Amino acid sequence: MVTITIDGKEYEVAERRTILQAIDDLGLLMTEVDIPHYCFHPKLAVDGSCRLCQVEVEGLPKLQIACDTPVRDGMIVKTANQRVKDARKGVMELLLINHPLDCPICDQAGECKLQDYSFDYGIESARTQEPRRPAKKNADLGPTIVFDQERCILCRRCVRFCREVPKTGELGVFHRGDESVLELFPGTQLDNPYSMNVADICPVGALTTKDFRFKIRVWFLDDQESVCDQCSNGCNIYASRSNNKVYRYLPRRNDAVNDTWICDHGRMSYKQILENRLTEPGIKGQRDVGYRDAIQEAGRLIREARTSSRRIVGVASPYASNEDLFTFRKLLEALGAGPGTFAVQRGEADDVLIKAEKAPNANGARALGFEESYESVGAADVAIVLGHTTTAEYFRDVANLILIDTHVSSLMDQAAVVLPARVTAEKEGTFTNHANRVQRFLPVVEPKFEAWSDGDLLQQIASASGLGGWDSMYSVHEISKELTESIAAFADLQLGSLDDQGRELS
Amino acid sequence: MQAQTLQKIEALFEKYPQKRGALLPAIYLVQAEKGHVDSDAARELAELFELQPVDVWEVLTFYNMFYTAPQGRHHVYVCTNLPCSLRGARSLLKGIESHLGVHCGQTTADGRITLGHEECLGSCGTAPMMRVDGEYVENLDLVEAKRVIDGLD
Repeated sequence: MVTITIDGKEYEVAERRTILQAIDDLGLLMTEVDIPHYCFHPKLAVDGSCRLCQVEVEGLPKLQIACDTPVRDGMIVKTANQRVKDARKGVMELLLINHPLDCPICDQAGECKLQDYSFDYGIESARTQEPRRPAKKNADLGPTIVFDQERCILCRRCVRFCREVPKTGELGVFHRGDESVLELFPGTQLDNPYSMNVADICPVGALTTKDFRFKIRVWFLDDQESVCDQCSNGCNIYASRSNNKVYRYLPRRNDAVNDTWICDHGRMSYKQILENRLTEPGIKGQRDVGYRDAIQEAGRLIREARTSSRRIVGVASPYASNEDLFTFRKLLEALGAGPGTFAVQRGEADDVLIKAEKAPNANGARALGFEESYESVGAADVAIVLGHTTTAEYFRDVANLILIDTHVSSLMDQAAVVLPARVTAEKEGTFTNHANRVQRFLPVVEPKFEAWSDGDLLQQIASASGLGGWDSMYSVHEISKELTESIAAFADLQLGSLDDQGRELS
Repeated sequence: MQAQTLQKIEALFEKYPQKRGALLPAIYLVQAEKGHVDSDAARELAELFELQPVDVWEVLTFYNMFYTAPQGRHHVYVCTNLPCSLRGARSLLKGIESHLGVHCGQTTADGRITLGHEECLGSCGTAPMMRVDGEYVENLDLVEAKRVIDGLD
């Protein structure tokens, strides 16, 4: 460790790091220590191309770029004196020489670093009279990204991302000097499973996603913390919402899980909140029944099975939260039904983020005693089923299927009772990811129709089936408390005490 | 890529502490063989150097004496940097353009000559000058330039 002084304050930092890296290690970048930068990104190799992060280092005659100057013991750094401010102003003027200043029609406006730093350090008018360099507008880079070459400041973040993260290297900065341009390698497209991250890291409006651009101005959005539920990696995300609608998912930094990235599939999964949803309860294929009636019918089926001592089974979903699964476990115990089972779909994985298990909480189901099974549940009078990770074939010999589900599926046709449930974005809870990290997600939007979380529905069904002790509804926080008190692995992992980075199962 | 070129490139690897260091001379060798280095050649080189094709393409396009598209049989490059310009290089270039009927950067329709300009070929004392197939032709005027160009097959 070495000690460096930044603006009069001492910091203990690791050796062999550059000034900006060291500040980022401390978690103080852009908060306590505000050194403006474009090309530096904590998860990409240092480039040193934008020159904006210049600082004064005592003992060195010229200003140094903080992103690429290694720390040394006793280093004294000044980030905010007049000399530094003048240098930033100069750099901003050069970066803006060819920039179109078309903020009113640019989709990046409001979350644009060029805009922000222009306000902080820029000059109000251009001193150049030469025409701006002509460049491509609205260029198609591939299935997901649109490129506005005029706005590009050549920071090379996207170039380094494609090289270092998906390792596909579609983009490069070609030619040199004032002829330098960001382009695709001839004959290729920007088409990889992580392509849309380039729009997040582009500090200006040069790279935007086809999906989000021109949908809404970003200042109308607010971001809620959530967790992606498309595979067992559990990438941390922000859901940007406005008027009870999600407009996009953005990666949220978690160095233990997803760094600052998410895959394109996960990013686009916000569409599942509205698409193909199961919106109405049903009894034996009849869809215009009331919510209460459906719950009562489920309760009646369970009551009858219990009075005549017929078999009841439970099939959990790896999409359900730890809290919902705990409620399910308690219900199955109360019914004397034996441990529930679950199935999880598997698919392709890579060594970046995407995991083979295509659900967020299979490890949570395992930790809560659900058994992974890919065989028919056998003969039973009642099967209580969460989600449709299983097919009709599993319930061949089941007389009455009570299905709690979020989306329309063929399993519905077979169900005696169907109850619409909430998706991840509509409820609060935790998932246990592939590395047994328990991560919380917060409610983002309210469903546009009546739907309850799996746990709430199970509580109502339990109450309707006349089980003792299930008459009052417990909130997800109360359930989380009970879960963490009664299952040792989940100790200290209560919803209220988990922070936005999650913690591992003990 | 011919086996001979490949052999020469592999011999280069020994001269550099990192394989990547040999990229520039390797591109020269490929260009000497094919006359230009296109994206397929860049892919080939990338594989050989264990780089991504885009790395090769960035190096290749950075230098304006590497060509990514087929060139004419003969390369005529007129220096247009300051000393040459003071000695009339701009009008010389214009004169050659109209003599050949192509703009700077283009190749004649018969594929005989590619005309271009360079930024300082380091021969300021003999300005204006041009480079014809790698050879310097110095102390030029339009008459002499036309004579040299017309003499190319």
